[in-house]
Amino acid sequence: MASLELKGVRKSFGSTAVLEDVSLTLEAREFIAFLGPSGSGKSTLLRIIAGLENADAGEVWLEGRRIDQLPPGERGVAMVFQHYALYPHMNVRENMAFGLKNARVPKAEIDRRIADAARVLEIEQLLDRKPGEMSGGQQQRVAIGRALVKEPKLFLLDEPLSNLDAALRLRTRVELAQLKQRVDAAVIMVTHDQAEAMTLADRIIVMNDRTIQQVGPPMTIYSRPANRFVAQFVGSPAMTLLAAELVPGGDCARLKIGDGTIVETAIARNRLPQDATLRLGLRPEAVRVGSRDAAATEATVELVERLGERTIVYARLSDGQAIIAEDNGDSRVKLGDKVRLIIDGAAAHVFDSQGTGYHGAVA
Amino acid sequence: MPADLRRGRLTPLGWLGLVAGAIIMLAPLVWTLLLSLKNNAELVGHSEAALHGPYTFANYAAIIGNSLTLRWLLNSSIVALGTTGGVLILASLAGYGFARLDFPMRRTLFAFVLLGLAIPSQAVILPQHQLFAWLHLHNTYPGLILPGLIAPFGVFFMTTYMRGIPRELDEAAMLDGASRWTIFWKIILPLTLPAQSTLAVFTFLGSWNDYWWPLISATRSDMYTLTVGLAAAQMNYAQTSGLGYLMAQAVFASIPIFLVYIIFQKQIVRAMAGTAG
Amino acid sequence: MTSQRDWRGLLFVAPFLALYSVILIFPLLRGMWLSLYQVDLFGAGHFVGAGNYVRLAHDPIFGTSLLNTFEVALMIVPALTIFALLLALSLNRASGSAAIFRGIFFSSAVLSVTIVTLVWRFVLAPDAGLLGYLASALGLQPLPFLSDEHLVLPALAITTIWWSVGFPMLLFLAGLQQIPDEIYEAAALDNAGRWATFSHITVPSLRRTVVLVVMLQTAAQLQLFGQSQLLTAGGPSGASRTAVLFLFESAFGRWELGYASAAAEILFLIILAVTLTQYWATGRATAQSDAG
Repeated sequence: MASLELKGVRKSFGSTAVLEDVSLTLEAREFIAFLGPSGSGKSTLLRIIAGLENADAGEVWLEGRRIDQLPPGERGVAMVFQHYALYPHMNVRENMAFGLKNARVPKAEIDRRIADAARVLEIEQLLDRKPGEMSGGQQQRVAIGRALVKEPKLFLLDEPLSNLDAALRLRTRVELAQLKQRVDAAVIMVTHDQAEAMTLADRIIVMNDRTIQQVGPPMTIYSRPANRFVAQFVGSPAMTLLAAELVPGGDCARLKIGDGTIVETAIARNRLPQDATLRLGLRPEAVRVGSRDAAATEATVELVERLGERTIVYARLSDGQAIIAEDNGDSRVKLGDKVRLIIDGAAAHVFDSQGTGYHGAVA
Repeated sequence: MPADLRRGRLTPLGWLGLVAGAIIMLAPLVWTLLLSLKNNAELVGHSEAALHGPYTFANYAAIIGNSLTLRWLLNSSIVALGTTGGVLILASLAGYGFARLDFPMRRTLFAFVLLGLAIPSQAVILPQHQLFAWLHLHNTYPGLILPGLIAPFGVFFMTTYMRGIPRELDEAAMLDGASRWTIFWKIILPLTLPAQSTLAVFTFLGSWNDYWWPLISATRSDMYTLTVGLAAAQMNYAQTSGLGYLMAQAVFASIPIFLVYIIFQKQIVRAMAGTAG
Repeated sequence: MTSQRDWRGLLFVAPFLALYSVILIFPLLRGMWLSLYQVDLFGAGHFVGAGNYVRLAHDPIFGTSLLNTFEVALMIVPALTIFALLLALSLNRASGSAAIFRGIFFSSAVLSVTIVTLVWRFVLAPDAGLLGYLASALGLQPLPFLSDEHLVLPALAITTIWWSVGFPMLLFLAGLQQIPDEIYEAAALDNAGRWATFSHITVPSLRRTVVLVVMLQTAAQLQLFGQSQLLTAGGPSGASRTAVLFLFESAFGRWELGYASAAAEILFLIILAVTLTQYWATGRATAQSDAG
């Protein structure tokens, strides 16, 4: 049985439509990320599931029970807010106990659950402190603890890592991954950070412009993006899109880009629509700064980012289009250099005029 | 250096002005105090006798022994405390309703309350007097307390303050299964304590010092508040016990207020900071 | 928030609204109604329409009381605002002495009108009062503040300013403290001198507070009552009778409720008009300065 099901959810604020006909299914114990830019509707969707907003149309089902008519407290859902929303005048223990008391859970049970959660999250020494006396990272663990003790069927995390500085963010990412193993519930995380989504989620739901763009496991989203938006939103630095023309000949599509280079893709020719406006998508790792092969594509270096384990090279092709390439960490490339690029056609993607993505057969 | 620009160094002339001003502020109070410590007989025709001894507490002893003045003190206390408690309760409830709940006509009703801020007391005081006469509420404690409860400022103040509390807390509480009332009682209300204490101090002071309403509503001298009683004593001065006693009554009436002022200075200053911005 | 337009929300605001409607709104409307009647102590009056208003227009006592009210408000509000502003500017610092001074200047504001008038009666009275004593000690003739018709309104004004300077001072202090330090620092980096800083940064930032203080004080002083009743009983010969005292005397002295209600409505309209005019006038001025 699916744990969470959304059917045809629609929502507008006044005359602004925020969600249009959203449907999806979550399996038990899945960790899902709603990924998208701000305004994509992902937070609204989360709040509708939580019961903090009412959808204009559609249904929400959790483990076989329809919950969209129920008040938030009765849905079996727990949420960790972006700014934690801990009750400032209560200490940690009281914060965690509040929901259980409202549900009339027996005191012994409340104490047991709090003790367990505190041990797991390593916040035992904070139990008598108030939120104002703790760091951001500690507050977040308390917020997670407050959700844990409710033993919900579904966890909702609203941008859990956005408020943390870089070092804390990485550590918390690891903690969330561990949490995932421990809980017997599905988890939905809302984020605009594709790295967070990629590392934590079993499946990613990419949202933009009020609709779901693609649903799938991280690697599928990455290597087989359904459309231009997904292709450019996921992956950093972003995929390069070059205007390209279909060149006749061969089972697999061959495309010519502006400066004359012909790229042999692994995409069957007959799958592509016959319109003229196609775009070739190349991730930086598919474009290597290469050897002195005279046949390779030429480009002028405009910017170099040395990351240590690799170097990102922003270059411009002879027809003026920008392209992003990769080189080794110890690359000696510098601004103004003319470099030759090796393009891995098998890893290339093609996007038609509607933006739909086409990819080579899975290796 | 910038700090100096902000604070403005005072010239000697400025200091002089400040000190002169302070003397002007304090002199009348000191004069009153001195008068109150003198034997009445000595002061007749020679009030400057206050400026030198002998001093006595006889007037204060007479006040404590005077059951009427003590009764006035009791009345003022009951009315001020009752008004304060009532305002806190009504304004908190209404403030929560306006700030957090969505009910039909909410905006209209809030505007309706704000409108009351513009109504000066004399526009309503005569009909109020009539109304309370019909309800037989004159010369009663409820009669003295009720008009103070409807000040729109309290509702406006609490609504504004509650709006400043992040809605996320309400949402977390809703997910924690709390009812509207529980959210009000256990989450929002405890977080409004600073506002409550400020509102309480202001309401208490305003009620204690109120002259207009108790003047026309309490016509029996045993229902006077201290403020009204003092006015009556002032008007009867020529026939009564004397200047020293009268001044002692004035000092006596100011002690509770000064105590409240000293204890709650922080609230008062903080409230002013809120209003100016 | 879950936006169920819930009737239950009304339960929270109902207690207040009920009292408010009965004790404030109903009397407001009834007052307007009463002003159209001639009512006395002994029961239902008879309808006179605009009769009360016409009578008021011809009533020299009412006219004088209005004039007195305007005069005394004009004496009080500008001086009060300036004093309060000067005090705030001088005392806007963190030192202990400043705190003591602030406390002194605010202490009078917590007293009731009856205490204040009692204190000042015995300051102003030429025979028994402090000023009288000081004057004669200096060999001067003590001024009969409370019995000379030319001195009476200034006496009320002085008393009121003494009483009321604390609140506006605090408002100005709060306004001053809200000016961010960074603006002063930027000005220092821009080489602004003391006067330039004052006139270009401090004063404009305080503009809103000044407007607020003037509006509030004007409305309050137009309703001046206690000082007039207790210090001078409106005398001598009505020279210090304010509009509200006139109202009080008509209603509770002569029991002419309808007539007094009409006077109350007129005063209400005057205060409303003055406040709105101030609001409009300063709104335009601030808009121009904001835009400029």
